[in-house]
Amino acid sequence: MSQNDFLHLMPLLILTFAALLIMLVIAAWRNHKIIYVITAISFVAAFLSLFELRAVTEYTIEPLLVIDGFAVFYIGLMLATALLISMLSYAYFEQQKEQKEEYYILLILATLGACVLVISKHFASLFLGLEVLSVALYALISYLRVRERSDEAGIKYLILAAFSSAFLLFGMALVYFSTGIMTFEGIAAAMSGYRELPMLLLTGFGMMIIGIGFKLSVVPFHMWTPDVYEGAPAPVTAFVATVSKGGVLGLLIRFFMEVDGFRYPTLLLIFTIVAVASMFAGNLLALMQQNVKRILAYSSISHLGYLLVAFLAGSQMGVEAITFYLVAYFITTVGAFGVIAMLSDNSRDAEQMDDFRGLLWRRPWTATAFTAMLLSLAGIPLTAGFVGKFYVLAAGVNTQKWLLVAMLVLNSVIGLYYYIKVIAVMFQQPDTEKEPAIRLRPSIYIASVGTLAVLTLLLVWVGVYPTALVDMIQSMFAEVPTLVAR
Amino acid sequence: MELTFYIAAAVAILSTIMVITRYNMIHALLYLVVSFMAVAVVFFTLGAPFMAALEIIIYAGAIVVLIIFVIMMLNMIQEDVQREKEWLKPSVWVGPALLSAVLLAELAYILLGANPSQTEALVAVDAKLVGLALFGPYLLGVQLCGILLMAGIVGAYHLGRQKKKVIHRFLQERSAAA
Repeated sequence: MSQNDFLHLMPLLILTFAALLIMLVIAAWRNHKIIYVITAISFVAAFLSLFELRAVTEYTIEPLLVIDGFAVFYIGLMLATALLISMLSYAYFEQQKEQKEEYYILLILATLGACVLVISKHFASLFLGLEVLSVALYALISYLRVRERSDEAGIKYLILAAFSSAFLLFGMALVYFSTGIMTFEGIAAAMSGYRELPMLLLTGFGMMIIGIGFKLSVVPFHMWTPDVYEGAPAPVTAFVATVSKGGVLGLLIRFFMEVDGFRYPTLLLIFTIVAVASMFAGNLLALMQQNVKRILAYSSISHLGYLLVAFLAGSQMGVEAITFYLVAYFITTVGAFGVIAMLSDNSRDAEQMDDFRGLLWRRPWTATAFTAMLLSLAGIPLTAGFVGKFYVLAAGVNTQKWLLVAMLVLNSVIGLYYYIKVIAVMFQQPDTEKEPAIRLRPSIYIASVGTLAVLTLLLVWVGVYPTALVDMIQSMFAEVPTLVAR
Repeated sequence: MELTFYIAAAVAILSTIMVITRYNMIHALLYLVVSFMAVAVVFFTLGAPFMAALEIIIYAGAIVVLIIFVIMMLNMIQEDVQREKEWLKPSVWVGPALLSAVLLAELAYILLGANPSQTEALVAVDAKLVGLALFGPYLLGVQLCGILLMAGIVGAYHLGRQKKKVIHRFLQERSAAA
């Protein structure tokens, strides 16, 4: 590896170094605050090191990795999200009786895996990145083992993720069998001759879609989502919903753009069915839930369906729309789970409707932030979610995907109902004055409160003045060859 | 050579089916060893003797020994065999098995009809070639594997060190009902 390679991999190297450092510090002195500070500093440092790479056009480290504007933007997005999640984690884990320090190592490693996903251009690095992410998540999901549902969530995720990895591997093997190469551009070159996908290659792609679809939790691979969201600690749920899905989606975009999978009607049909089914199943099932975490789980399924609409547009505008929507979705989801994390105590998470009854009268600011997040998820104007949905719709209309666009509009209306339901519960007068649970010192909550304030401001800012973000996305993607070609 | 490949592949599939249909875990484990060895032979016939050796050493050797330790610690008795037998009723597995068989048939049809784009002459991949690939172009991959192991170890350490006895809610309900 040359010096240039090191420079371009700096964010990943910083994360690796941070994980090792934390392990050594734990061996010497277990202290939650120190570990937390190291984690936050390393995320910030990794994020700042990306500014060195701003001007990079396309730097490949043969044969595994490629770093371009697309990758830099997605890594930056995921690092910022991971930083915000770790900010929210401190107060949440401070009140737990478990050992807290390993959580930060696993969080850093999971982020690292997601970053590897978006810069990989080879099946080997794809699979390794995915496994680093999954293995770290197995432990993160069941981290609080004294909770009654954490084991269930952990086992469910472990078995299903391993199973879907097997599908992904089998699919890769079939693709390798028919093309004889494992790099993305090699597969693209081998496929350039086909006007119609041969059966074997189609089977391979189908199996890979199963593996990817599981991670994205789209219908019909969504069964784990509500249980895992419910059983995992709130900050981990935020991570599963954002960074893990963002990394896989980035990979999916890169792979599909490279091999130009949009030429094949069969693949488009598969993704169309998945998108429509995700939107409907997510929204309709969310209507029947009483648990806020489960509502957010089903809503995330439907949001992935919306994202696939932009993905199916297959144009540069579609990719920009996905990226914009992801930014809005990340802000909103981290904010929503951040509120849940802040209201939780050491025995269980605040996830029942009762926990939110009359929240507006008890804690007006928290309730305002949560209302803003829910309105953004529903796509109400002046929030980031609205602009994101508008962008996705524009991308769909631009490529005449009328069916998908109609489904998206219909589902937005259905979705509105259950978001408003949660907001309505917060406005109700509490029946009895609830005894407040034992709280920590107020100073511990500074980080959480600050993060939530930042997220709410970002949400409104992106919603009111989206031009800045759109310009940034466009300038980052302008130099990426696979995107510009279309 | 082609015939040995097909025989070994058939043995691998049959023994794996036996693994999942045994009631006694030790018996299943014996079939698992057979399955690993058959896969090793498949590797060998495909021109990868080093991989074949690794398959035997790591899977049939180390991993199976670990599983045996776990089973010994779990202290299996005849009742467990009976319970396994009750769980594995035909009504449970016939449906999924039929559907899987359909998929298998489809896959076999596709694979038999396929002609891969390039057929290269088989080159024996020995230990030296594997090493050159791993520490040449795929060096970053090896380092990523290290990170993967680190995530696994840290996670296993955290989940394994719990002393507290946690009873699952289903079991709790049952014991309350009893």
